[in-house]
Amino acid sequence: MTDVVVGRLADFPPGTHKVVEANGRRIGVFNIKGDLYGLPNVCPHQTGPLCEGRIATGTLQADAESGWRPSWVMEDEVIACPWHGLEYHVPTGRCLAYPEITLRRYPVRVRDGEVVVTVGGRRA
Amino acid sequence: MAVESRPAREAGHSKLQDLLIVDADVHVHESPGALAPYCDGPWDVALKNVADVPERYLDIPGFSPGGDGTLTARFPTSHEATRMVHTPEQMVAELNAIHVDLAVLFPDHLLKLPVLPQRDYAAALARAYNAWLVDQWTSRHDALLGAIVACPQDPEDAAREIAKYADEPSIVAVYLPCAGLDPLWGDRRYDPIFDAAQNARLPVLLHAVTVTSPVFPFNNHGFDTEFARHSTSHTFSIIANLISMVSTGVVVRFPELRIGVTEAGISWMPFVCNRLDKEYLERRREVPFLTERPSHYLKRVYVATQPIEEPEKLRDIVTLMELYDGEDTTVFASDWPHHDFDHPMKLNQVPFTPEQKRKVFGENALTLFGIDATGRRL
Repeated sequence: MTDVVVGRLADFPPGTHKVVEANGRRIGVFNIKGDLYGLPNVCPHQTGPLCEGRIATGTLQADAESGWRPSWVMEDEVIACPWHGLEYHVPTGRCLAYPEITLRRYPVRVRDGEVVVTVGGRRA
Repeated sequence: MAVESRPAREAGHSKLQDLLIVDADVHVHESPGALAPYCDGPWDVALKNVADVPERYLDIPGFSPGGDGTLTARFPTSHEATRMVHTPEQMVAELNAIHVDLAVLFPDHLLKLPVLPQRDYAAALARAYNAWLVDQWTSRHDALLGAIVACPQDPEDAAREIAKYADEPSIVAVYLPCAGLDPLWGDRRYDPIFDAAQNARLPVLLHAVTVTSPVFPFNNHGFDTEFARHSTSHTFSIIANLISMVSTGVVVRFPELRIGVTEAGISWMPFVCNRLDKEYLERRREVPFLTERPSHYLKRVYVATQPIEEPEKLRDIVTLMELYDGEDTTVFASDWPHHDFDHPMKLNQVPFTPEQKRKVFGENALTLFGIDATGRRL
């Protein structure tokens, strides 16, 4: 495992995300309400640039408890692939349409004001 | 006008008489005069008034307006397409001849119930038909089981009817008419019907017929021929209604409800499963109550075989069925006595495994209708 510095915390204010490169991988780094998350910038659906969507938003959910009416949930926590719109819950990597799909999550932490992403070996 | 029974000649075919054959779609003939004594006033007067109108196939003014095939040139033919069954005795004899053991009865004229604009009249007709069906047909012979009609123009009254017949031993389904229906069956106004059917443990069976109407998907005036209209009316309607029921969440809001569709064949089902799954990945937000991909719910829908496709390679039928995982949800239907009925010999030629054959001809229908092999409700 390799720690890669991808920028300063000030480069990732809450409510934003951007795609960085770390050891040959393109990773979306998200700051959601002060917590940092890293997801691969590849949608498993058709390899779309998943994390290049402009903003993370909420989404709609409905169940028996809501009387089957939709409510707006997961505010700021959902990224939709700009190619086809497949939605993912950033903190968990869970695909909302297909529960059997969960994205790999890269650990992200702050060290001395720098944002550090932990990745595997170098990718060609 | 019975058909001759023919022995299965080719090796490997089960003998039809050795199979349990449950027929999910058979039609009785309800004339206005027959329903009049069962109909509430003042509508009984209107029924008596058209009792002696010469009738053409599914075409009586003020009862089943707009005949099937009345728009195209009428040349003489010996395929008159006007077979009707008028009595339980006639029905049992004719079904015996095609080796059907148990049959679920649907109407003739009331296939077009949704096109009637008068709500109270439509509801009175539905009540009259249901009472007549039990009194004159399903209570007269153990092989004859009934689907009561749910009047879409008056969902509350339809729900009361379903509750009324919930424990009737010979009623095994609720028929949801689709021809000229507006809005489609997914609309929330119909929730009382689905709630009542679920509570009554009765499945709902969708059934369309060919009409030309401004109502989607019956706005088929662009077609020149009955060849085109009849090819599409049933199937498009079933596709539209199932998509409606998935997209408004009927399939999740009524999880115990069994849903079946008739008279659309089977080959559209893999298309709808795949198309909705594809759409779902982009538009999940519009159907946020689904917890599985749309095909998960569609694959729980029972599909009646008639009019079974007849591809050059009959193995294609097996492949089509497998494409929607339909071994446990595909049910035989003949549509007797209508012009495009299927004799079970055709499905018997399909190279199913013996288990698939037993399921499709009978066992799946027992599950769908909640009955045992003698037709008794479980």
